Amino acid sequence: MPLTRLLAAVVLTSAAFAACAAENTVTTLQNKIAQCQGCHGIVGWKTAFPEVYHVPKLGGQKPDYIIAALKEYQSGERDFGTMRAMASDLSEKDMHDLAAYFGGLAEPNADAAPAAAASAAPEKK
Amino acid sequence: MSRAMIQRLLLAACLAFSFAALAESGNAEAGHKKSTACQVCHGPAGISVSPAFPNLAGQNYDYIVASLHHYKNGKRKNPIMQGQVANLTERDIEDVAAYFSSQRGLTTKY
Repeated sequence: MPLTRLLAAVVLTSAAFAACAAENTVTTLQNKIAQCQGCHGIVGWKTAFPEVYHVPKLGGQKPDYIIAALKEYQSGERDFGTMRAMASDLSEKDMHDLAAYFGGLAEPNADAAPAAAASAAPEKK
Repeated sequence: MSRAMIQRLLLAACLAFSFAALAESGNAEAGHKKSTACQVCHGPAGISVSPAFPNLAGQNYDYIVASLHHYKNGKRKNPIMQGQVANLTERDIEDVAAYFSSQRGLTTKY
């Protein structure tokens, strides 16, 4: 019966679209995390000229603080060229997702995961 | 030993000393005493008391120093922090940074 076929086609197509959308969301977030990690994921990474210092560690930082910082960079209130560019196309949801990823650890002084603890301990200054 | 050689050795010694000084010049113990005001918000262990304030435990020494400089020179604007840094000397900034960066806490997450 043609109607059954049509229904089946509609159901299958929307399922496929839903799957695509879900995959796309994950990929996008992973891409955005990767952008952050280009600097914040490298132990000992430093800013460039004119002021040279180590970029801040984000693992275990308060999520609300990360969101506030990203908004300040986006609005230009906090002035650092690289971060302004990075934050420029982030949506509110992106900021929350990134903050959850970087800040979503147990309180830092609690027992950290072995990998996180190893990266925290030795590299200081 | 020739005079030129002694001069070179002295120069090398001076350079080595200044690089060591550049790497970190703060004193964590002194910073512990000087940071009572910081601890009210950022916590004695560098874990802040409010979700709005950043944790400082284990943060990079020179990032803390740079942030305090930015609050002091107005590049970074925050009414609370601007008031806090107004009376800090360069020595205070380095000591306080040494104290918080020596704590166990934040990590480089990847």
